[in-house]
Amino acid sequence: MVTEAKPKTKRQIVTLTINGDEHVSLVKVNTTLLDLLREEFDYTGTKKGCELGDCGACTVLLDGEPVNSCLILAVEADGRSVTTIEGLEKNGKLDVVQEAFVNHGAIQCGYCSPGMILSSRALLNRNPSPTEREVRDAIAGNLCRCTGYVKIVEAVLAASAESKA
Amino acid sequence: MSEPAAKKEQYSVIGKSVPKVDAYDKATGRARYTGDLKVPNALVGKILRSPHAHARIISIDTSKAEQLPGVKAVITAKDVPSVMYGISPARYDENIFAVEKVLYVGDKVAAVAAVDEETAVKALNLIDVEYEVLPPVLDPFRAMDPDQPQLHEQYPRNISVEIHQNFGDVDKALADAYHVRTDTFSGTRAAHVPMEPHAALSKWEGGKLTITCSTQSPHYFQYHIARVFGLKMGDVRVLKSYVGGGFGGKLEPSGAEYVSAALAMKTGRPVKLVFDRWEVFVHHRGRHPQHITLTTGVTKEGKLLGCHARFIIDGGAYTSLGIASAYYAGAMLPLIYMFDHYRFDGFRVHTNLPSCGAQRGHGAPQPRFAFESQLDMIAKDLGMDSIDIRLVNARKPDTMTPNEFKVNSCAFTEAIQKARRISGWDEKKGKLASGKGIGIGCGGFISGNGYPIYRTRLPHAGAVIKVSEQGDIATLYTGAVDIGQGSDTVLAQMAAEAMGIDFEDIKLVTADTETTPHDFGAYASRQTLMSGWAVKEAGEEVRRQVLELAAEMLEANVEDMNVDRRVIYVKGSPEKSIPFERVANEFFITRGPLVGRGKYAPPKLGGSFKGAPVGTSPAYSFAAQISQVETDEETGQVMVTDVWDVHDCGQVINPTLLHAQVEGALFMGMGEAMYEAMVFDANGKPLNANLGDYRIPTALDVPQVVSDLVDSYEPAGPWGVKEVGEGATLPTMGSYANAIYDAIGIRIYDMPLTPEKVWRAIEQRKRQEREAAEKK
Amino acid sequence: MIVPEFDYLTPQTLNEACALLGEYGSRAKVLAGGSDLVVKMKNGLLKPDYIVSLKNLQDLKGIRYEAGTGVIIGARTTHNRVVENEILRERFPSVSAAAGTMAAYQVRNIGTIGGNLVNAVPSADMPPILIALSAKARIVGLSGERLVDLEEFFLGPGKTVLNQDEILAEIIIPDQATTGSSYIKFGLRRAGSLAVAGVASSVMMDGEMAEDVRIVLGAVAPTPLRAREAEAVLRGKKVSQELIEQAGKIAAAESKPITDIRGSAEYRRHLVDVLTRRTLKTAIEKGHV
Repeated sequence: MVTEAKPKTKRQIVTLTINGDEHVSLVKVNTTLLDLLREEFDYTGTKKGCELGDCGACTVLLDGEPVNSCLILAVEADGRSVTTIEGLEKNGKLDVVQEAFVNHGAIQCGYCSPGMILSSRALLNRNPSPTEREVRDAIAGNLCRCTGYVKIVEAVLAASAESKA
Repeated sequence: MSEPAAKKEQYSVIGKSVPKVDAYDKATGRARYTGDLKVPNALVGKILRSPHAHARIISIDTSKAEQLPGVKAVITAKDVPSVMYGISPARYDENIFAVEKVLYVGDKVAAVAAVDEETAVKALNLIDVEYEVLPPVLDPFRAMDPDQPQLHEQYPRNISVEIHQNFGDVDKALADAYHVRTDTFSGTRAAHVPMEPHAALSKWEGGKLTITCSTQSPHYFQYHIARVFGLKMGDVRVLKSYVGGGFGGKLEPSGAEYVSAALAMKTGRPVKLVFDRWEVFVHHRGRHPQHITLTTGVTKEGKLLGCHARFIIDGGAYTSLGIASAYYAGAMLPLIYMFDHYRFDGFRVHTNLPSCGAQRGHGAPQPRFAFESQLDMIAKDLGMDSIDIRLVNARKPDTMTPNEFKVNSCAFTEAIQKARRISGWDEKKGKLASGKGIGIGCGGFISGNGYPIYRTRLPHAGAVIKVSEQGDIATLYTGAVDIGQGSDTVLAQMAAEAMGIDFEDIKLVTADTETTPHDFGAYASRQTLMSGWAVKEAGEEVRRQVLELAAEMLEANVEDMNVDRRVIYVKGSPEKSIPFERVANEFFITRGPLVGRGKYAPPKLGGSFKGAPVGTSPAYSFAAQISQVETDEETGQVMVTDVWDVHDCGQVINPTLLHAQVEGALFMGMGEAMYEAMVFDANGKPLNANLGDYRIPTALDVPQVVSDLVDSYEPAGPWGVKEVGEGATLPTMGSYANAIYDAIGIRIYDMPLTPEKVWRAIEQRKRQEREAAEKK
Repeated sequence: MIVPEFDYLTPQTLNEACALLGEYGSRAKVLAGGSDLVVKMKNGLLKPDYIVSLKNLQDLKGIRYEAGTGVIIGARTTHNRVVENEILRERFPSVSAAAGTMAAYQVRNIGTIGGNLVNAVPSADMPPILIALSAKARIVGLSGERLVDLEEFFLGPGKTVLNQDEILAEIIIPDQATTGSSYIKFGLRRAGSLAVAGVASSVMMDGEMAEDVRIVLGAVAPTPLRAREAEAVLRGKKVSQELIEQAGKIAAAESKPITDIRGSAEYRRHLVDVLTRRTLKTAIEKGHV
């Protein structure tokens, strides 16, 4: 059984549901989910900031949970569902979190924004009425160098209020 | 000097918080940064970097790398022009690849272009480089010793620049002073940490080089790249895609462009080269660690009489923009407080460490930390309140600094007073519970530099506005560079205001050396004022042409015409009106393209002494910052709970973007104050060149921030504007250090304010108290 | 950055996984979450020829309570599940809290409790609190399974008692109704930082008496370290501020810290003193049921 496994193990077919659409690709097994999304499927909204799980720019939702896509091998995600920033907008309408980021000046250079928005979206999914501290905790893995997080936190709290209204 | 309130209310577009023009693309992932760009047939470039801080290259064997399938080019110094580059004139001291010696861990040695990143990385590992390791120079204090190894032949004793400036009679001022203090402070090698790493995509087609890159200045890139490759400037096109932050680090070419260009020329294919995070750190060009000794004298009433500042500045391996940084260190010290006698002696020295350059606030934040700390110590010596001593000395409008910077608007006193009020200073200072404290720090900064980085007669900014043939939209062409701060949005607001049309009517073409008029780019907090003037002039030219034609069409006098939000009307007879687009359309039909042009060059500024241009500016901002802290005296941990920033930044074009700049600048000051420093081992190898160990603050680490303004109108700025993007970085370190002193009576002289450092200071004080008690 | 090439193996059963590990020995690495392994591989610190992924081993996930045994945590359980789990929050909230001090939210969705233990990083946050609570590791190998006190699990940085063919399957925290416990991590940032020092204490109270005490130090020795002499100060005694302070000093003396970029040995020793006192106080308060 062990020897049988050997010949096919450098490459593998990976099937992912990305933003609701099925994507299939033959990938080298050492490819990260981040590189597969960016290079193969052109979801370049998922950013490369540090490649070591420190900055959160590559955050995507894997089966709804935020993860650093730079730390996950694409083969490990096989069969699972991925939401990237490109998948939040529905029928030409921004997600309430995206809308709040735009309207509250929470975006400057924008490089952290996709990851930041996805972390915030996931927070509101599991906790629709977070406290400021809970917002800060949820985005602590998304580094931003432009904003000091002030307007980002404002935007997430506003999105929470907006969703309830 | 303030413009009548009635006029301000007439503005239709400026002064309003419109969302950023690029926010939608950035929120949806549509915004493509250089590393996101896909072009057919492109190769991936990667740079081989030195593992040694100081070494001689004996040999490089690229044959194995060249044989690896998928590798299209391997290049070293022998394959590229030997012309040296840099950004400081007369100090061009870098090569695309090291020729004889490597001077820091990370110096560029060779590069490959391959079909993908994995192949490129494998190829780098197949390049054999034989080094003779040399002893590194790591200590800036010893770097000037004659027995130390030399980094560059042309810089004896490793001195990069030596500065002596003297204004007034400092010795006499200090001799006359009631009280004189000498204290020494030091700062760290903090890094910009833009979230987007440096990147370039080069194409070489038909003798023309096109480079899309993450840059703060397409112009400077074009100028230097053309020079190095021996091309006409017109044969080099530099443009940007979205830029993920710069903070000073993307003002000069990083090597990504030179190397990708060289690889593109060699292979005939487009080459994309993106730094990884380690490369961003070792390339650096960030904050210079400065060692600052201040001798300052005051009267009994706390009036500053004179100051002598001495600097030893660690510049790292190459010059970068370090000459300007070193001059800025001293030049900005007398800006915000009024005193006549000032001397400044500085040495920038080379070490085998990453090169330092310009970072938000340039050379000024660390000296400002030193001065703000010492001013508090002087206040305590005199029994004065920290705010009162600042009010005694605060600069007044329409004054001149001892080093001949002309200050027009200045609401510094009002800023200090407002910060005092909104922070509750008088109820808190010296009255907070044990372990809590409050402190103030101040700052001020230029609104654009009086002179460009290299000598040229080019104006600082140009703008063209072209109205569409139907008159429904107008396209603003500007070389100004939006790196995230929002200049595209602010300039679009200005264009709309100047033309009398709506913000939504403006389209933008920016930051491209081929399609947009020249602009020096995003640095020195220059664009709102300088690019803004050019845009205003261009917009007003369109407006004038449209009103002239409208006057003919409505059979009115042109002096009586006005346009606001697309409606052209006769003043006093609003029923006589005509839509902007009808007139614009008629203009095209009868007269040809409707175009407005503008340019800006500052007046001649500053004195005639050596180094006089550095720090000159048409206008200066001022800011007061008050911070409140809580300390854990057992562990030395400090938590900043609140910060109040009050800025005098002139008139405001977009309040949301303005406060965002204050918050971001303050955040960078906070990181430098509390967390950030690049550290190295005994061989000069970086120990924390990643975002786990080099700690920028997270969302959990930042205080509550209140950003507030004082009313001010700057006559040298379009619509009265001046700086905001960098000034708020300056006060933070000092205000934190002063708040910690208020909390626990501990004075920290060197950044960052780590828990261990605070704990050690507490322990030392305990020891001293014990010893004193024992003596009794 | 590139993950060096390897062969990717996805066993369907624990036994199959053990067989693969037994065959390939040191040439193979187990992939649980990957938050540590992938980073080390990208940095070139590890270049395994084979990666044995545990992703198909669903039995290794989840948290359950078995009366008479205690709380059982599958090794593949991610940190966030440990943080949020109701059983743990009720019975061992200090374990949930310790998991919440790690890295940041996204990484806690990737990293697993088993990975955190098997990596045997001296600064890891889970070992001190689990050892303080007398947790055991259920280890499965080709020759069967064994239970090891977690205290005995660590041999040095990156080294554990696991044999080549063995996999950490579960962590068992035994019932201890009257025990209060606490873990405090001292990091240099509120998220995304490693412990400069971390101390966990558990105290089993009998009235005013500390019937049993365990103090475990993290990031101040090559492995998590029990401060046995400090424990002895309090064990079987009526708790008092004086004894707590004494325990703190002794724990500091027992620690064997090194100096690195995060802190000096001297500072770490001092932190052990402070954190020992603080965790003991909390543990004692919580131990009074």
